[in-house]
Amino acid sequence: MISPLLHDDPHTVGPFRILARLGGGGMGTVYLARSAGGRTVAVKTLHSRLTADTTLRTRFRLETDAARVIGSRHGAAVVDADPQAPTPWLATEYVLGPPLDEAVEAGGPLPEPAVRALGASLAAGLEQLHRSEVVHRDLKPSNVLVTAQGPRIIDFGIARSFGDEHLTNVGSAMGTPAFMSPEQAAGLEHAAAGDVFALAGVLVFAATGRGPFGGGAPTDLLYRVRFGEPDLGSVPEALRPLLSRCLAKDPAHRPSTSELFAALRGAEDAPVDPGGFADLLPDAVLREIARRSDEVWREPPHRLPPPVPAEAPHAGTAPVPGVSRRRLLYVAGGALLGGGLLGGGAWALLGDSEDGGGGAKKKDAVDRPKPPSPLWSAVLRCPDSGGEVMTVGRNLAMRAGIVLCGINAESGKPTWQANVAETWRSATDGTRMYALRGHQEKAASLAVCEVSQFHGELSKPLVELSAFTGKEQYNQLLCVADGTAYLVARAASGKRWYLVAADLKSGKERWRSPVDGPGTEGVPPVLSGVVVGSRVVLCGSPSTDSHFIGLSAHDKGHGRQLWEMSETFTGTLPPSRLVTDDRNLYFGAENLTARRLSDGGLEWYFGNRPGAGDRAREERRFGAPTVHDGVVYSTEGDQGLVAVDAASGTLNWQEKGLSGRKNKRDVAPAVGKRYAYCADDKGLRAIDLRTRKAVWTYETEPVVLTADPQGGRLYVRQEKRTVALPLA
Amino acid sequence: MERLRQDDPARIGDFVTLARLDADGSRGVPERRYLARSADGGRTVLVCLPPAGGDPARWAAEAQQAARLTQPGFWPVVECGGTSAFPWYASPYRPALPLPAVLAAHGGPLPEPLVRMLGGTLAEALASAHVLGIVHGGVCPAGVLLTACGPFLGCFGAMRATAVAGASATPATWLDTGCLAPELAAGAPVDRAGDVYALGAVLAYAATGHTVPERQEIPAGLRDIVTACRSRDADRRPEPARVLAELLPGAAYGALAGSTEPVSLPGRVVAALSRQSAEVLAAALPTQER
Repeated sequence: MISPLLHDDPHTVGPFRILARLGGGGMGTVYLARSAGGRTVAVKTLHSRLTADTTLRTRFRLETDAARVIGSRHGAAVVDADPQAPTPWLATEYVLGPPLDEAVEAGGPLPEPAVRALGASLAAGLEQLHRSEVVHRDLKPSNVLVTAQGPRIIDFGIARSFGDEHLTNVGSAMGTPAFMSPEQAAGLEHAAAGDVFALAGVLVFAATGRGPFGGGAPTDLLYRVRFGEPDLGSVPEALRPLLSRCLAKDPAHRPSTSELFAALRGAEDAPVDPGGFADLLPDAVLREIARRSDEVWREPPHRLPPPVPAEAPHAGTAPVPGVSRRRLLYVAGGALLGGGLLGGGAWALLGDSEDGGGGAKKKDAVDRPKPPSPLWSAVLRCPDSGGEVMTVGRNLAMRAGIVLCGINAESGKPTWQANVAETWRSATDGTRMYALRGHQEKAASLAVCEVSQFHGELSKPLVELSAFTGKEQYNQLLCVADGTAYLVARAASGKRWYLVAADLKSGKERWRSPVDGPGTEGVPPVLSGVVVGSRVVLCGSPSTDSHFIGLSAHDKGHGRQLWEMSETFTGTLPPSRLVTDDRNLYFGAENLTARRLSDGGLEWYFGNRPGAGDRAREERRFGAPTVHDGVVYSTEGDQGLVAVDAASGTLNWQEKGLSGRKNKRDVAPAVGKRYAYCADDKGLRAIDLRTRKAVWTYETEPVVLTADPQGGRLYVRQEKRTVALPLA
Repeated sequence: MERLRQDDPARIGDFVTLARLDADGSRGVPERRYLARSADGGRTVLVCLPPAGGDPARWAAEAQQAARLTQPGFWPVVECGGTSAFPWYASPYRPALPLPAVLAAHGGPLPEPLVRMLGGTLAEALASAHVLGIVHGGVCPAGVLLTACGPFLGCFGAMRATAVAGASATPATWLDTGCLAPELAAGAPVDRAGDVYALGAVLAYAATGHTVPERQEIPAGLRDIVTACRSRDADRRPEPARVLAELLPGAAYGALAGSTEPVSLPGRVVAALSRQSAEVLAAALPTQER
């Protein structure tokens, strides 16, 4: 429903001008809004009083991700979003249709063909979500919008990724009892099958006007959901067996979304008629859809004036004349919140009064946040490339000088040492460490061994491939994933080089695919290689004096090359590792660019912003990027950190008030929950993600930064020393 | 929403064109109609231009006349602009389908109850205009714009703007000749009976898909009233109020035209209206990126 703005509603959110209110809830407000180009959208914001709650912020971000996953066919297309903004917001298309509960209220229960079509489409939508490992967890009639083209699933308020346990402790307080799954009602894991249960409840509601477990007090409802039999008495006969299977108490007995889709579509294999859905809807629902399509174009209602003070101020006696009761409530709420946050309040206050790196001396008062003390420090020489700190089980491994070292993550003490001189001959899968057998050993064939985490000795070969020579110094172990080692190796006879996948269990080669050999003296053929999803992505080494690096992707299953692409790099060193999420590869050079993993094509580039300073003087404008939670962080020139949306390439925010620092472009930033960490000529600076200002600088000369969110540590590798700082 | 073609203007006045209203190859459309948006993104409008080959000055005069009217059931004109050689007028955008697009969306002629609702509403709009001495002079299928809240009469004065003085004049291709009463084709000025003749043609179109059907093609319940409207003798055509009474017996006069409540429409027509609305909502002006 379009309703007037309240006097304290914002005038703009992100790039959108706010026109009217569409709704409000416990977590936030939804507005009708318009972009500069006249695009009309629905903008959902998180209540400003809740934005300090990191769980809610995380949930808001997950909702944004889920909305992106489901897309415009089964959901509301995401237009833009900034989950990191002080007031996080999500802009989607404005969907033209009433929620299912209002539709049933207006037009009565839907006829069976409409219920089937609704169910088939919802099942397809859920399947799409589940394929991306997202569970909705709150499917109910009010979260299904009925449009003329089919239903759309909205409001992923509590959607989350599979196994994302830390968000579940709110448990049964969330969701809606009438459409909850029994496992959700019991406070257990609600997985994909739980959404199937809820979908069946929604269909029972569509067909009868009431949920399968009736109504009443939430506690009674919860009991009936867990132990009672669903009431399918008024459901059309033909739908009963299917819906009753979906409503089975045991998740394992429920059909899958694809089974449900097939069953609801019935025997007709005829192509789905896109206009057909509207013909199945009752007249009252069609009128409601038409009304909404028309209403959104009317002049929006005027913003409401501030409320009249509840009590007229008595002359002379009113302590705060003219302040409305509502405002007083806000103040009181703010004070409570401040108390609840304990130290957080003071910390936030300080962050606001800070005026940046070059601030006045007098502000260096006792309260100013200070860099933390190191947890430990170890003398370890960092190599020019491959200096990332690797997590191996509960401990760490890092390349140091001409050895590979195991380090106790808690104490920083060395635990083992392996003689693997070249940085490109070792890799970890996160639990074990692997290395290639030394090229100076007697054996002629290529072999992959495990590195003992007790004494650093190499085990007997797990894989031995006689088709490739073991005597080649530039053979590479790129990475190990899912029991498969990915190698780059020279054939035993001849000079041809291959990317090889070898199964560590069976010891057999799975496939090989030709690649270019080394192009430069002293450098292996591939700078780095990673497995992302179903692909192996390689970044080739540049030839001498070339400023191009070759990118390519191979199919993980068969090794077939999927695409090949050249990317320029500027500056002295090519990127030492690939920065990727499940969607794109990210590079920081003249511009910040994202290349799609699917075809290597340019997804977006970021740069060329007006007023961003004189870029002609700088050869390399953007530093090595880091991607974290859907945001790409990179330093832009010497202006500081920029946070760019990984999906769209739009600027989320940029660091404020930095001056007199030279960013180290080759050191990718690290990101924690509260701070982002950047290397510059003064040391390591922590940038508050909320105020976007530097809060402290730790004096050091970082070469590599590695964040370890599990261990809560930030590893700073300097040329000769490695330091662990608490990651905040 | 139909894609713009290469020969369409990119801007009309201060408006940037987004799309055409009428499908490619539509016949009998007396205006060139575009969905457009002000450069600041704030206003979305339907902008109309005179037809190619028409007389822009006469067309502009009709548009200015239409802008002075606030007749219920007449498509509102809120802004006229341009020059006498390149005039335009604009109306605030709301989702609307020209009658030919309604039939295309529905997949053929409309059911009789809907034809009655459309015809009754248009008859009421004409009746309230005729009482004031206002003759629409542009009633034709393409001139009927169906919104969620019922039909509106656009293309005000299209026939007056067309040079039909004298029997020798060849009817312009942008006019649906089936809507042109015999006396008008012979050079008589456009009058109230001409509006009724054209209303009969619109009813025939809605019920059969063309403006000059055979008598037996017309659904039995509509046959007499449509035939009466399309009588060659202007004096034998009914008054619009009578057409309303025949089509919607017992309807409260004054409740139909210009209603703000949604009317009952077939599923596919609602789907087409909401799709147009969604497309225009989602359309954005090309902006300079960063």
